[in-house]
Amino acid sequence: MTETIIGHRTTRVDGELKLTGKADYTSDHNLPNQAYGYPVPSTIACGKLLELDIDEARQAPGVIEIVHRGNFPQLQPSDNNPACGTAARLYRSPSTMAEQNKVGEVRLPFEDDGIHYEGQYIALVVADTFEHARAAARLVKARYEVHEAVPGLFSTDDEGEEAGDEAVSRGDPAGAYETAPVKLDQTYTIAMETHMAMEMHASIATWEDDRLTIYESTQGVVFQRNALAQIFGIPPEKVTVIAHYIGSGFGSKLFMWPHAVMTAVASRMVGRPVKTVLSRQQNFCNAGNRPASRQHVRMAADRDGKLLSIRHDSQNETSFIDSYTESIGSGTPRAYACDNVSVSQRRVQVNHGTPTSMRAPGEVSGSVALEIAMDELAIELGMDPLELRRKNFAERDPTADLPWSGNHLRECWDDASRRFGWEKRNPEIGSMRDGHEIIGWGMADATWEAMRSHCKARVELRADGKVQVACGTQDIGTGTYTIVAQTAAELTGVPLSRIEVKLGDSMLPAGPLSGGSMATATVLPAVAGATRDVIEQLKQIAIADGAPFAGKEADSLEFKNGELSDGSRSVSFVDILNAVPRGMVEGEASAAPGDEQDKFSFRSFGAHFVEIRWDPGISRLRVSRVVSTIDIGRAINPLTAKNQVEGAIVMGMGMGMFEETEYDPAGNIYNNNYADYVVPVHADIPDIEVELLDNPDYNFNEFGARGVGEIGITGMAAAISNAVYHATGKRIRDMPIKIADLID
Amino acid sequence: MADKDDKRPDHDDQGKGRARGVEIHDARAPSRRNFLKSVGATSLAAATAPAWARVGYVNHDEQEPQDKRADEGEAPAKGTQRITLNVNGQAHTLDVTPNMVLLDVLRHQLALTGTKKGCDIGQCGACTVHVNGVSINSCLSLAVMHDGDEVTTVEGLGQNGKLHPIQQAFLDHDAYQCGYCTPGQMMSAVAILNDAEVASDDAAVREAMSGNICRCGAYKNILSAIQTARKNV
Ligand code: FES
Ligand code: FES
Repeated sequence: MTETIIGHRTTRVDGELKLTGKADYTSDHNLPNQAYGYPVPSTIACGKLLELDIDEARQAPGVIEIVHRGNFPQLQPSDNNPACGTAARLYRSPSTMAEQNKVGEVRLPFEDDGIHYEGQYIALVVADTFEHARAAARLVKARYEVHEAVPGLFSTDDEGEEAGDEAVSRGDPAGAYETAPVKLDQTYTIAMETHMAMEMHASIATWEDDRLTIYESTQGVVFQRNALAQIFGIPPEKVTVIAHYIGSGFGSKLFMWPHAVMTAVASRMVGRPVKTVLSRQQNFCNAGNRPASRQHVRMAADRDGKLLSIRHDSQNETSFIDSYTESIGSGTPRAYACDNVSVSQRRVQVNHGTPTSMRAPGEVSGSVALEIAMDELAIELGMDPLELRRKNFAERDPTADLPWSGNHLRECWDDASRRFGWEKRNPEIGSMRDGHEIIGWGMADATWEAMRSHCKARVELRADGKVQVACGTQDIGTGTYTIVAQTAAELTGVPLSRIEVKLGDSMLPAGPLSGGSMATATVLPAVAGATRDVIEQLKQIAIADGAPFAGKEADSLEFKNGELSDGSRSVSFVDILNAVPRGMVEGEASAAPGDEQDKFSFRSFGAHFVEIRWDPGISRLRVSRVVSTIDIGRAINPLTAKNQVEGAIVMGMGMGMFEETEYDPAGNIYNNNYADYVVPVHADIPDIEVELLDNPDYNFNEFGARGVGEIGITGMAAAISNAVYHATGKRIRDMPIKIADLID
Repeated sequence: MADKDDKRPDHDDQGKGRARGVEIHDARAPSRRNFLKSVGATSLAAATAPAWARVGYVNHDEQEPQDKRADEGEAPAKGTQRITLNVNGQAHTLDVTPNMVLLDVLRHQLALTGTKKGCDIGQCGACTVHVNGVSINSCLSLAVMHDGDEVTTVEGLGQNGKLHPIQQAFLDHDAYQCGYCTPGQMMSAVAILNDAEVASDDAAVREAMSGNICRCGAYKNILSAIQTARKNV
């Protein structure tokens, strides 16, 4: 096979399994003798659990055990509670990225009697069937001491605590602002969002002696394995985490949540596998969120539009039990050429579950304020918003004074604006009409950092003609199975149909989290290394005594199309391996970033152009067209990569127009379901035209890929808001934009 | 991709494809016993819960004492009702409690886990199946209401090992990412393509498909897949 596979539109190798219902997601597994866990959530957001009445639930049909503070191992040593087994103590996970054991909520379930947010678990009912567990969970009664809750960032005067390591400053932003001729000083807010991955969080835990196996819908099998090992005080080798298929995560499944710990403990207590699937409602409370944020932007420019000063000061919500920082301004210092920039971040404690990463965490929120502010500044200057951005293009990374490895933002602007027809835009507010509808055109930049981490992989060639690639990362829907197969196919010349990819199991060579758009750049170099290694091993076998190329130099052989060749004769790897006792050969490799970060700044850039239609007669707001051009280096698979950008654009529409997790004054969520927490549905979807530039970034890795999951969402909400302003003259700085904001 | 034949003992879905119901009976194999299961006596519940309450899905008959089994033809257990579901062309006789939901019966008792649960309250469409040719949210329907009904799930879409045109179109157009909403999307799509009341233009299809949420946002490709499959169904 001479045809190149990398960079081609390949349909997913796991497609048929997904399309026939055979792909095994977590809750599709059922283990022998499995019991069902159903959590009991707190109905208050702040206070103390005084009393838990489980008598009635205990007597309900099918109930096996009720796990709660009174019998949870940490609080009651094993000799007092035989149900706990022998190793009764639990430990908190250190929860660090470096040790790869970060968890979503550090507090262990039932650790104290404090209630810190609505929905916090107060018990887990374990019963023989799902129906019995659910019914009994409703019979658990609790008495609380209720304290006044802080229901959210927008209902408190608390300024919060400064996240010192987020502060960035260059030049003299305050001084430059004072003397500048054109200024902007505005505040922007974004409502709390919930990930709403279609597959709800789920764990199935089972113990064999002191070995724990847990099926989990997770974006990080290795992280969860390490965290569970810490929590149970057992070596990581004794924990196996499995996630073959994940109904997506968008960040909510990066780091383990308490239901997994609770389920693992329950399984040990009852001596059976226990399956816990969180209800949709519980997914809102206990599995992370994008915290609400408030951003204060002060910006100044000269009369020609040259940026003189940017100050971007943000606050984000965190919980009372963890300290979560949303790095909202982290993209700002690199966004434009400006000598005087400062960024700060504060955390404000509220009675919500701990926030976590949600698609393009931090930067997407920052892009809302920054990119609306740029639009406002352009209007102030009487300048085209695209022109203002062109004027302030950063030729180098202004923070590190490093050259960009590849910054094709100008190409993105040119391509997307041309396809959109931006030059036909009449800048006058409300000037573009189509029948009843007023048309608004807005634009914004998109950007996301390129990250890479370390990774191991294993490749086996087998006498049955198969190539198997294994890596302990996972495919959350992004297409990792497929691009890994493409890589092995490209380097071996073996057709995709004979490549098997194993992911989603912590027993495999350790792979990265599926998050931060770093999986592709992290995993593929390791897969390539392992493939090369296995080819080397095969050559050694082939030159051994009695083998087809006995006596030849390994270096004189070439591996192509699944065959070893010395130039005159080719022998397939199947024939070579058939002659060896094991019938297979394996190669391994690990790959990590080198010193390239010291030489270049790696970031992806893009631009969104958005058309909205506002029908004032019936107060209808719609996004009618999105044209985006994004540069992600090389797309390993343009079919799946484009799909991701389109999906991120849809989620950006959600951020701009629909999504808001709403709390009442007591701190209870009142829209904890798919009907009331509004996400974009099919009828909301406009024409979306995405182009991916193809500028491989070989400084970053041998495949030139920078990753693709996050960038599409950045800038989207701002582009919509800017388009809304163009149509209506109403500047909406609070996301999501509501119809009520537009009605006169 | 994930190898389902992994040799780790607890890895494979033991019992998948086997009868996992409270009581299951394959009409094509009439000699097969109906059996009523009780939770293994090792559990704590066995000691505390009344005997009638010990009805579970657990169906490892080799572990069950002989005298706990009900013979074929025995009346359904107290609190259950016997129904027949014809799923993907195969008849199953099941004893279900009144609160058992069709979706859960498909997933737990019949091990047809292709149909997904995304909300359990009729808001997302992940659980869409066809009942007597009409698409419904199986999470909103009690199993006892479906005695004698014909149910088609994603597992029944393809025929003779061949993908259904909608499955092929979803594959070709990459009309999914995580794949979790996909069975429901395809079941709705097939229903729409067979429904003369739904017009064939893009706007009509978008409207008609709006009960199926795709959080991955693969809507654009879902639309192209449906419009392509239209030509082949
Ligand atoms: S699970 Fe039935 S509609 Fe969501
Ligand atoms: S493909 Fe993931 S929700 Fe639709």
